[in-house]
Amino acid sequence: MRRAAALLLWAALLPGAIGAQPLASPLSNDDIPRILAFGPWPPPPVRDPSNRVSGQPAAIAFGATLFQDARLSRDGTLSCASCHQPAQAFSDGLPRARGLQSGMRNTPGLANVSQQRWFGWDGANDNLWAQSLRPLLDAREMGGSLPQLAHTLRSQSDLRKAYHKTFGLAPGDDDERIVVDAAKALAAYQETLVTPRTPFDDFRDAVARGDRAAAAAYPATAQRGLALFLGRARCYVCHGGPNFSNGEFSDIGMPFFIAKGQVDPGRHGGIQALQRSRYNLLGPFNDDATRSTATSTRHVLLEHRHFGEFKVPSLRNLARTAPYMHDGSLSTLREVLRHYSELDENRLHADGERILVPLRLSEGETEDLLAFLDSLNEDRP
Amino acid sequence: MKCWAWLALGLLAAQAGAQACGEALGAGARRIDSAQFQLAFKLLPDPVPVGQHFAVEVVLCAKGDATLPAELRVDATMPEHKHGMNYRPSITSSGAGRYRAEGLMFHMPGRWELVFELRGRGAPLRLSQSLQVG
Repeated sequence: MRRAAALLLWAALLPGAIGAQPLASPLSNDDIPRILAFGPWPPPPVRDPSNRVSGQPAAIAFGATLFQDARLSRDGTLSCASCHQPAQAFSDGLPRARGLQSGMRNTPGLANVSQQRWFGWDGANDNLWAQSLRPLLDAREMGGSLPQLAHTLRSQSDLRKAYHKTFGLAPGDDDERIVVDAAKALAAYQETLVTPRTPFDDFRDAVARGDRAAAAAYPATAQRGLALFLGRARCYVCHGGPNFSNGEFSDIGMPFFIAKGQVDPGRHGGIQALQRSRYNLLGPFNDDATRSTATSTRHVLLEHRHFGEFKVPSLRNLARTAPYMHDGSLSTLREVLRHYSELDENRLHADGERILVPLRLSEGETEDLLAFLDSLNEDRP
Repeated sequence: MKCWAWLALGLLAAQAGAQACGEALGAGARRIDSAQFQLAFKLLPDPVPVGQHFAVEVVLCAKGDATLPAELRVDATMPEHKHGMNYRPSITSSGAGRYRAEGLMFHMPGRWELVFELRGRGAPLRLSQSLQVG
């Protein structure tokens, strides 16, 4: 019934979609359910049951402070914000992350991070507080240790006070518990990082309302790009849903090799790390006693095909998160589209999977897709 | 009563027996038939949303003198893409041919094939049904 109503709505929106009149839009009635599935935006805030301070104002404030605090790094020079720079959409603009040492992957932006199921390019964490803990302890990033971090949280009066306000008690003797709590405050803050509405969201909602005038304001080039995204290019298969990502992992033919003799195993290594981690949702630090939050972790499957897969990123706010891909090897979105246009099928389909084919995009199609992607940015043209 | 009448009654009774398989699953139950079994299953929720975990309630009924298999496995593949799910479902049995599979996820829209593998003493028997997702 809803689908039938939606089709009528679309017929009213796009006069060319039915009857003998010439098409006024490259989109068709069949596209409506898929367009509607890209919203609504922003999504309603959802509390994370695995984090007992998720959504709490004191935790959000404490997390915001910690995020900027270089005292959390081993040598006092780096904070979370050193790489996840608010002015850069919580990314750093570099091909590969640079902490205390050079990293091997691009720094992902943190906007809309609460929408994710897996965290990091390889999904090595299944929750945001564990993902927040990782750079604090990673020797290549902030290089801290549980005793050092716990000492800082206990000994610095401002941090001790904020911890007490957030968790209702002073930091105790258990170093690991204190540091995980700090990571939970960091997660509570990051959950608030949501990108604003975009021109596409206005178009999508106009389609949902049957508001023909408002829908017509969406540029024709972006409509053609959207039609390609849903049609021949089939981008929506992985980049679906309100966050334009299915939250899973794909091998899109990017190189495995990160340096001579060094291979990035991607999701394959990520699942192994997840299953080893003491901080996963099956572990003792999950505040959700029912463990209903751990369904994905309990059932995740490790197979050879996961080698070289990386997380499907969101397409929101791409203009501010260059360079692209897990290794930051593509500087512009035009280069990204060229990659999809000229995919090496022999490299890609070694395991027999048949999702991607070279798109062989014309110059006009490339421009249309770029216009569509641009409409997913918060800054209006 | 004539012979054909008994035959008709017998067929009706057999059909009624077959229809009873998985009746407890209520409306929305789907069924797959083989020579030896009828398998009824219900997707929870139905329709299955893309990218979200779902469960499957299963009732397996033996036909004639067939015996229920010792084990049921549930899996799904996307034939067009030549890949399966990223998750391995867990199966719990509550006896008498009743099972619940949890932890499945269709992570892409398109045509999926839900596969039930019945494992007993002989070769495994695969029953499947195609589902359009998203």
